[in-house]
Amino acid sequence: MKRREFIKAGAAGAAWLAASPASGLVRRIAGRRETARKVIILGCDGMDHHLVQNWMKEGHLPALRKLVSRGCFRPLGTSIPPQSPVAWSNFITGCDPGGHGIYDFIHRDPKNYFPVFSAALTEDAKRTLRLGNTVLPLSGGRVVNLRKGRAFWQHLEDHDIPATIFKMPANYPPVATRQRTLAGLGTPDVLGSYGICNFYTTRVLDINEDIGGARVHEVYVIGNRVEARIPGPVNSFKADRPETGIDFHVWIDPVHPVAKISLQGREFILKEKEWSGWQRVRFSLITTQSVSGICLFYLKEVRPDFKLYVSPVNVDPASPSLPISTPESYARELEKRFGPFFTKGLPADTSALDNDLLDEEEFLAMDDFILEESKAMLDYELDRFDSGLLFYYLSSTDQRQHMFWRLLDPSSPAYDPGLASRYGHTVRDIYVEADRILDRVLGRADKDTVVLVMSDHGFNPFHREFNLNTWLKDNGYHRLAREWRGGEEPFFENTDWAKTRAYGLGMNGLYLNLKGREAQGIVRPGAEADNLLHEIASKLEQTVDPKTGRRAILRAFLAKDVYQAAYRADAPDIILGFDRGYRISWGSPTGRMPREVFSDNKEKWSGDHMGAPEVLPGILAVNLPVRSEYPALYDLTPSILGLFGIERPRDMKGRSVF
Amino acid sequence: MGTAKVKLDKELFKKIKKYAALSGYASPEEFITHCLEKELSKIEESDSEEEVKKKLKGLGYIS
Repeated sequence: MKRREFIKAGAAGAAWLAASPASGLVRRIAGRRETARKVIILGCDGMDHHLVQNWMKEGHLPALRKLVSRGCFRPLGTSIPPQSPVAWSNFITGCDPGGHGIYDFIHRDPKNYFPVFSAALTEDAKRTLRLGNTVLPLSGGRVVNLRKGRAFWQHLEDHDIPATIFKMPANYPPVATRQRTLAGLGTPDVLGSYGICNFYTTRVLDINEDIGGARVHEVYVIGNRVEARIPGPVNSFKADRPETGIDFHVWIDPVHPVAKISLQGREFILKEKEWSGWQRVRFSLITTQSVSGICLFYLKEVRPDFKLYVSPVNVDPASPSLPISTPESYARELEKRFGPFFTKGLPADTSALDNDLLDEEEFLAMDDFILEESKAMLDYELDRFDSGLLFYYLSSTDQRQHMFWRLLDPSSPAYDPGLASRYGHTVRDIYVEADRILDRVLGRADKDTVVLVMSDHGFNPFHREFNLNTWLKDNGYHRLAREWRGGEEPFFENTDWAKTRAYGLGMNGLYLNLKGREAQGIVRPGAEADNLLHEIASKLEQTVDPKTGRRAILRAFLAKDVYQAAYRADAPDIILGFDRGYRISWGSPTGRMPREVFSDNKEKWSGDHMGAPEVLPGILAVNLPVRSEYPALYDLTPSILGLFGIERPRDMKGRSVF
Repeated sequence: MGTAKVKLDKELFKKIKKYAALSGYASPEEFITHCLEKELSKIEESDSEEEVKKKLKGLGYIS
């Protein structure tokens, strides 16, 4: 895939897809076979074993304690590496990454060393008709879920056992099934991105072109009026593929801190520091086609500076331009009952907090909307749950730990005592909230219901950054084309591939520049590659951070030692397992090489989970005895099937824990 | 690789010469080439690399 195609894959697909139904998805829901046993799974992203243990002991998590008193509590082995798309894919399929093919958030194209999204591929219509500047699709575009292996709810479906899968991560687009499923992590916004918000300001100092995850627009207040525009998806119905957009106006009250927003023929009023409800927006493509989205407005400041935040435009569940549920009607059904709701995979806007567009209180207010919305949907599903399996997912546990770990941890380079006095309990509070959600579940579960709480990985502090590509360069494995130009630019702009033996791409991956696989590979497969892998892995494990005197990398795993064989050929050759406190640097995953190998992480994004699995156990709590002392994510999959009397499929790596 | 000449204001060239030496460039030509390449890449890649970067940043894990 060429660079430009990569962009199109992300951004333009929405427009084409609006013109065609989510193809191949079966509309009828699964048969409702009555099952004597019922299973409810609460998936809490990033819930950490050590924290749960401590807070359970201190009495903060009474529902979990109650659950565990009837069964078991265990650390749950995570994936290699412990990134959410990888870990949840282990859980979904019962395989390790070699069996499902998801190794990282980001993979690479060996033909051009360029990053590609690991989880989904969006394609334009293959056949088109051009009329002047208008391009009409003669076939539908499509989105492909790149995860291999069957999902456990597909196995349940084979046995006519109903399942509702609420916001399962790493399931976008949802795999074909007659079960009720709603896509989770990995579901893009209408731009096809992981989420880009818009921020409108008169304060020139706020304008920073380097902000990712946000577009900051300079606006002017002229006669108490502000004119602005919400950018939309690329219009692939036009030959020149212009960006669509929606103009809106803001009228500022000359006396009071209030503004009226006029948007596509509707008007609403916001006070300063007030959030709007969901606003529906429609990006026009051609006369008969448009893309519908939903977004939230937040009037941050009226005077002296004008500041308005608009959330990433989520896919409208009432009229989805992208496939977000099975059956297609499930998203509409939820929308009809609850109104518009967050559909973007990771709904919390961490970039807005990281870039000071929202402060801590504002970020938490938005995350509270997310929680309230999904709690209402859980109640709805619990009310009608009478057979089979219900899976419910909570993202806030992960997102709040990423952003608020610094205030729990005085040794964090980003620790702020003032903020810590106000938000130091945020991480614990979200664990308590998850416990309350479990309490709701326990209140509805009868004696035949297995209740299982699990997480995909634990959490660690992120104090120090490790620049893998800089380390490779300094150790002679990676060569710059022009030394004086340095390696600050992304995407290996200045790499001399004819002299480069290894490169890092993604959050944990290291690849050899292998002859016959990479476009300009120089390392010969076989003994040369094997020796080089062992040499690099050994050196990495011995690398000491000069500031702390500690080893940064606990384990450098060789793919051939840890992965199943089926799709291992696409895996990174070495997977880095960091020790507590360490993570890959901000720039290295996309091929940057700053001067220093190590540096302090001073960002608000201060907790993470890119370590070796042994320092990041998730949790398993269940009201049944568990045989295994240290079960792993992929063991849960055959365990679930076993609860319904279904034999473990042969391609699964996991073994039942019950 | 062929070369081409461009005209620069004398005062500007003086500054370039001074700062190229201060920044450790081997010659003013090397400094100018670097600056121009940087600017050109911004324009050429405005709807590709930069967009990718922004979209990936939305993910939260990278800069």
